[in-house]
Amino acid sequence: MHLPPALVLQALIWGTVVLGTLVAGLVILGTGIQFRQDRQNRHRIARYQAWETDLATYLFSGEDTPRPFPRIAKEDRQLFQKFLTRYHATLAGREAEALRELYLGLGVHQSIPSRLRHRQATVRAQAAQEVGIFKLGEYLEAVVPLLDDPVPYVTHLAAQALTWSGDLRFAQPVVDWVLREERYQRERLLRVLEGFGPDLLPWLEKHLKPPAADPEPWILFALLAGSHRHRESEPRLLELLAEPNVDLQASALKALAALADPLTYPKVEPLARHEAWPVRAQAAKALGLIGGPDAIPALIALTSDPIYEVRRNAAQGMADLGHAGTSALTWLAEDPTADRFARDIARERLEWADERGHQ
Amino acid sequence: MSRKWPDPTRVLVVEDDQATARLIQARLEMEGLKVFMAPNGLDGLEILQREAIDLVTTDLMMPAMNGFRLVQEIRDLPPPKGRVPILLISSNQNEQDMIRCLAAGADDYMTKPISAQVLVERLWRLHQRSSSAG
Repeated sequence: MHLPPALVLQALIWGTVVLGTLVAGLVILGTGIQFRQDRQNRHRIARYQAWETDLATYLFSGEDTPRPFPRIAKEDRQLFQKFLTRYHATLAGREAEALRELYLGLGVHQSIPSRLRHRQATVRAQAAQEVGIFKLGEYLEAVVPLLDDPVPYVTHLAAQALTWSGDLRFAQPVVDWVLREERYQRERLLRVLEGFGPDLLPWLEKHLKPPAADPEPWILFALLAGSHRHRESEPRLLELLAEPNVDLQASALKALAALADPLTYPKVEPLARHEAWPVRAQAAKALGLIGGPDAIPALIALTSDPIYEVRRNAAQGMADLGHAGTSALTWLAEDPTADRFARDIARERLEWADERGHQ
Repeated sequence: MSRKWPDPTRVLVVEDDQATARLIQARLEMEGLKVFMAPNGLDGLEILQREAIDLVTTDLMMPAMNGFRLVQEIRDLPPPKGRVPILLISSNQNEQDMIRCLAAGADDYMTKPISAQVLVERLWRLHQRSSSAG
């Protein structure tokens, strides 16, 4: 089909005009967005700089009652909330209290219930964070549903808000949330649970199903007992050593190592001969910490273990015992009749120490 | 409690979080201290070599050179710079890190969140101890 050249030319011209207009429109739109963002950033930086000075004066005025903070314009209140939350990880004590007073003075906490249900995840997260940071106990109930939020960082901040409250009424939903997460995440999530403080441990003992029925929560219990160095949990940890679950036994050993009570040594020592290597590896770490130099014969036995991790932990455990352990390692390294695995790992550990100029 | 810092007492604050750094600076200046700021260990070390610093407070996790390495580098310097009291501030409550830093030669350790009041008190104690040690 042949089109008249004049029509083709006209179509080309109009096509170019439309395309040009579209490109120009996009450029203007992009410039406008960029300009707006630049202006917002400049405004934010200017505000933050001014508030930093005001905050220092407010917090450190040296008087018993803080100096009043300059009035915050209504349009800057959201920005100011973000500004204040930056300091939650930095300030403690009287300054943290003063920061809370400042936040409450804004009156923005009244919008928290609606912000916790907002369609934007960032708004929900910010609201949950405010509840946690500024200890807004009256909104904790409203934070609980966020533990089922589809956005991971929202659930994380919600869990943090609940644990920072130290209110054990919220222990069950937070523990359930941790247990719903992947196991590799657990160690990280343990930090969140630590927010409840050591009181969570007796609560767990009272409320968890028996370990034989459900060992997973007891793994959390053991790890928490270790991180809090909770001596009152020791009898239960010793009971957990007898459970058939390997991860549970290893976690209980880890906690007992953190408690380092020499009286527990007779119950820990037999686990150095456990059939599962993760338990033996953990026992190799724990024995020296619990038994001191008395653990050297058991650690020497573990240096000939077929699993490298066990041998390495045993050699490390001996080195950590100071002179007595290092002497035993030197003897192993030089004894031609010693097991080859034991000799090699002892040499490896001594060389490693030698290279770093210490033992 | 009233403290009488010698004039001038120079404090080096090594902290990568500018918001925290400026607050610490404001609190220390309120004490009448002369404050030098560095955003990482490398810059901190440079300031320490150039200025007669009396006290160092450093964060642990920083870019370029972390607090642990900075403590080691300072302790490798000849005295008196190599003996400057160091207070380490970390957001990490990891016991192993704490032990490593103290073993490397840090004099004291604090974990965030911190009270500025406690920070000043600890620096004062460090300064008193180092003055009496000569």
